Amino acid sequence: MRRTGPFVADAAPLENSLHWRHYNTNKRSITLNIETSAGTDLLGKLAATADVVLESFQPGYLSAKGLGYDHLSEANPGLVYASLTPFGQSGPYRDYKASDLVGFAMGGYMYVTGWPDTPPNKLWGLQAYQTTSNRAFIGILIALYHRLATGEGQYVDVSMQEAVATTTEHVNTTYNYTGESAIRCGFRHGGQFIATWQCKDGYVSITTNTAKAWDDLRAWMEGDGMAGDLMDEQYNDRFILRGEHGAHIEELVEAWTLTHTRAEITEWGQANHHPWGPVTTADELLGMEQHWERGFYSVTPGDKELVYPGSPYKMSENGWQLNSLAPEIGQHNRQIFCEELGLSADELQTFISDGVV
Amino acid sequence: MNCRHLFRMGLFSMSQTGALALQGIRVLDFTWIHAGPSATRILSDQGAQVIKVESNQALAVVGGPSSNTTRGLGQRHNWNAGKLSISLNMKIDAGKDLARRLVAVSDVVAENFSGRVMPSWGLDYEGVRQIKPDIIMLSMSGFGRTGPWKDRVSYGQTLQAWSGFTDLTGFPDTRPSGPASAYSDAVGGMTGAQAVLLALIQRANTGRGQWIDVSQMEAMSALLGPLSLDLSANKTGAQRTGNRLSHGGGAPHGAYRCQGDDRWLAITVFTDEEWGSFVNAIGSPAWTSEDRFATADSREEYSVELDRLVESWTSEQNAEAAMHLLQAVGVAAGVVQTGEDMADNDPQLRERGTFQQVPDAAGVLRTIEKAPYKLSRTPGSVTRGAPEFGADQDFVLSEILGLTDEELAKAAIAGAFD
Repeated sequence: MRRTGPFVADAAPLENSLHWRHYNTNKRSITLNIETSAGTDLLGKLAATADVVLESFQPGYLSAKGLGYDHLSEANPGLVYASLTPFGQSGPYRDYKASDLVGFAMGGYMYVTGWPDTPPNKLWGLQAYQTTSNRAFIGILIALYHRLATGEGQYVDVSMQEAVATTTEHVNTTYNYTGESAIRCGFRHGGQFIATWQCKDGYVSITTNTAKAWDDLRAWMEGDGMAGDLMDEQYNDRFILRGEHGAHIEELVEAWTLTHTRAEITEWGQANHHPWGPVTTADELLGMEQHWERGFYSVTPGDKELVYPGSPYKMSENGWQLNSLAPEIGQHNRQIFCEELGLSADELQTFISDGVV
Repeated sequence: MNCRHLFRMGLFSMSQTGALALQGIRVLDFTWIHAGPSATRILSDQGAQVIKVESNQALAVVGGPSSNTTRGLGQRHNWNAGKLSISLNMKIDAGKDLARRLVAVSDVVAENFSGRVMPSWGLDYEGVRQIKPDIIMLSMSGFGRTGPWKDRVSYGQTLQAWSGFTDLTGFPDTRPSGPASAYSDAVGGMTGAQAVLLALIQRANTGRGQWIDVSQMEAMSALLGPLSLDLSANKTGAQRTGNRLSHGGGAPHGAYRCQGDDRWLAITVFTDEEWGSFVNAIGSPAWTSEDRFATADSREEYSVELDRLVESWTSEQNAEAAMHLLQAVGVAAGVVQTGEDMADNDPQLRERGTFQQVPDAAGVLRTIEKAPYKLSRTPGSVTRGAPEFGADQDFVLSEILGLTDEELAKAAIAGAFD
């Protein structure tokens, strides 16, 4: 992770990855070589004091080292042990490799993303990995809640492919209930009444989710003298975008949106409780007043001020806050091995010299 | 951790393998559209009793009772399997009174209305807390319940556009596309369930409930990862990158056309070792030994040409066969699967039991997705599809609330169930 960009200038290599810094706030760091027997021994001791073990090695790798759930839960029956892998711990593909892109493809999300006449597309960023994290977090919380009641830990097996496959909204239900596979629709959502249009200063998302939204849209176009024949009764159905008149309607709507800005169309829609909004570009993201007002963004002080995203919920009892920045490599070796695990300074030094720590 | 509170409250019983982690938790569920019901289904799968409060007064919502399209039926089952359904007319006092009595016996109240609705019923957090002091209330909205945008409304696609996902998704030389499905609703559902689980753990430790204010917009913004750090540190914008990673390289890295109609294989190669395996597996055609493809950096530099050459190989291959061929030598490759591929042709999803069939009220088997995490002791259980509209009126009002026949008749005459 430390070798993955984006990077920040004027920081040492391996400490300059913003990828690393983003995903590792509020954590501590130790170094440990588990290819040595002393290393596996130390990890076993640490795991005996842990509430949760989280790992993403190939299935079977940690078990072969005596560090699987069966081993570690013997000394610590309350342990919650979660494995995040591309395809899970069982099944014919359990040893198959995957990246974010391959997980996105095998989970059925990629096929429906993008335009019909381009290759299937990934979503921006690392959404297959993040979906796996989101799903694993739920599984771990369920296990922790169960442990509160019973003292029992358990094993949590998370597959990236399944995590993605169950996060595709209508892909599975469309096929399982209609026999048709969902397809790529470009700027529309599932070919329905939701679309993204080019306008004066970019793109805008217009959802005619109610008859009133569609009627309001037509009325605004008519007010500008640009509705063409859309006021005709034959266009009264708000689902009409996907019908035989689709191309004709698209032409009229976009000719109209091109005469207005994102802000104008958004405000008109929102003032009438329609879920319309701008397509925000990356250079506008840090200007979003709602994120600042709610404290979603926090700024780390210092010579290089960085804007961190926070947690997506406000909880009246459990507040999230940025307590510490991502750690440096092995920053907490002494704290964890000596102060918490009880090694002497000499023992730690020996482990360091031997390449264990 | 201290769980005395829960034992005292009788919420927990000792369990064994196969137990339901959330047994004894009751959720009063006012949510309607995707993000809301998918959050409460996560809880229902683990044994929470979810009572879906529906209404004849609002039948036209996707996934709601009148979702009579085939696709709507699928979504209703997928998001509401295992739940109970009652019908309450919240426009009149008799309906609101029953809702308040249900709050009094619930652990969680969930809603994803616009900010005006729950207060108008006297059921905002202050209201429900007065009825049940340790209640956990989940409010899910597009932008959160505070701040200058709190009254704005959104659909999944609105949030994908507003958060930046739509503009950043697609190839550099095409219009922005975004996904054809509502990722942000699925994300909102996961986020809402996480927050409720955190609150349940907190309540077990302290005895206190709380209010959760989920902003689905923030949930999407968080998934942009390090982008806000990058923008603040480097003052440069991000752009659409098609199927390339914006950072971290890799080439080939994309979807490559295979034999057949709209068949594609995703292939990613990062290291020289993976490249060597890839080259051997495809039979070492002459172009693979060109100097410009000799190192990872150089492959990335010439990735456009490399993509064309890789596709000259994949276009002669069956997508599944090519996946197995490459996986056999440790190269990450996967078919760009369709809905049909996943449901009918994927031996991995079949073996893992990703899809499950449950009977609906008429005994017809309906396919739903299963939770994508396997918990060894509390795997969860779903035994039936979505309830019919108002199907559990008697059970909820008579058994849970203990209403007499006379009280039920009185409420019915007052229009509480209309």
